[in-house]
Amino acid sequence: MKKVIQIESEDNVGVAVQDIFVGERVGCSGTEMIAQNDIPAGHKIALVTIPQGERIIKYAVTIGKSSREILQGEHVHSHNVEDITNQLCNEYERQFRSVKG
Amino acid sequence: MTINAFKRTDGKIGIRNYVIAISMVSCSNTVTERIARATGIIPIVHEQGCNEFERDHQRTKLALIAAGRNPNVGGVLLVGNGCEKTNINEVQKAIAETGKPVESILIQTEGGSPEAEAKGISIVKKLKEQTDLEQRVKCPLSGLVVGVQCGGSDWTTALSGNTAIGAMTDMVVRNGGSVLMSEVDGFPGSEHIVASRAATRKIGLQVLDMISELRAEYIEMYGQKIEEINPTPGNKAGGITTLVEKSMGNIKKMGTSPVQGVLKLGDPITHPGLWVVDNRTQGPDPFNLTGLAMEGAVVTVFSTGRGSPVGNAVMPTLKLTGNPETFQKLGSITDFNAGVILEGTSIPETGERLFEMLLEIANGKTTKSEINGDFEYTIPRESARKNYGGCPRE
Repeated sequence: MKKVIQIESEDNVGVAVQDIFVGERVGCSGTEMIAQNDIPAGHKIALVTIPQGERIIKYAVTIGKSSREILQGEHVHSHNVEDITNQLCNEYERQFRSVKG
Repeated sequence: MTINAFKRTDGKIGIRNYVIAISMVSCSNTVTERIARATGIIPIVHEQGCNEFERDHQRTKLALIAAGRNPNVGGVLLVGNGCEKTNINEVQKAIAETGKPVESILIQTEGGSPEAEAKGISIVKKLKEQTDLEQRVKCPLSGLVVGVQCGGSDWTTALSGNTAIGAMTDMVVRNGGSVLMSEVDGFPGSEHIVASRAATRKIGLQVLDMISELRAEYIEMYGQKIEEINPTPGNKAGGITTLVEKSMGNIKKMGTSPVQGVLKLGDPITHPGLWVVDNRTQGPDPFNLTGLAMEGAVVTVFSTGRGSPVGNAVMPTLKLTGNPETFQKLGSITDFNAGVILEGTSIPETGERLFEMLLEIANGKTTKSEINGDFEYTIPRESARKNYGGCPRE
């Protein structure tokens, strides 16, 4: 049984498929890392160190922005991710509608 | 790529050759059911057909006609009472346009229920003799219309269930077939992703306009923006952090193919590819499943986390689960185990295996829902929605 799945090769976060405990060594897509926190099954783990203000990529799309630096192996959730859904949707729609076609 | 299927005279491809009995009004439901039970065919019954508001009735009629017209259906018996609002001749004519045999009986004309039942049974026997003679022939995959859906979700649905479906969707489209995706209530938050995959600018605008309406309805219903309420505390406990992430779990079933258009129920599919069906009915899973069948899907691939018995009266349902424990526990209602992704099998490989099973089912392999006799047909209603043409009393 694998512990972490990377859904698309562009993703900088993986998904825990089993509960992971702090200090545990986990592998994903050829990279080994040490879990920085307890990470419950279904939750995200940083596959690389993500600087503050960077895009969080899952399903090969931007799902949010890091609100602080996130270390490789750290739990990725509301405490370190900003939800920018509104901004992404509005900016796209504004640009799309402004182009005459 | 080809499948062995039933080529209908209107050019459509069916993967089953069902004979069905359709009740025109709830008054004729039990007669319809008795005819079906005596002959081993599938009945379609419902709670409407008379004294409905006009637009509700139009939906009833559309759904009953669409059931008969579905390419999986080889013969139809219509059963009415006689004085109902559903015009049995109009329904018969609309189904007969496809070239398949359609017969009708009215209880009042036949002289009562037992009389209608006896006549209905003899008609169905003749229809079955006819359909039994029809053979599968080689058909191009370009005629295959596949629905995708999820329901009874858990934390594995977005991770292993819907990602496997997405990989399969891309394979169906790449091989020339069509895929229908509905569940548009789950689109807000990822509309920019769907619109960016639109085949033309016009289709992109269709997607954005549809989601703008849904977002406005959300504010009207809940008094808050969709982003203010989503993801829910339950979603967050399960690991979903943002609304894009939540809606992408749903969108993932579409794969990455270009979107060919947004269809309202009843609109024809003009060419193969990936299509969005704008069916906004909120309710139990059979509402959405029936909407896909109404749009001409001949099979739906349905992912579930916790398990689901659902099937459909006019199309097989290939049910998969992303949860290996659910597959162990509910094998009698689940066809495919995408939970192998959690155990190390890759998503593309699992999608490929799912595509192979889809082809087996298209070639005639029976699904669990067919074996179990789970044949729901639930007419999708939109009249409860505020933006559906305003107040019914107007």
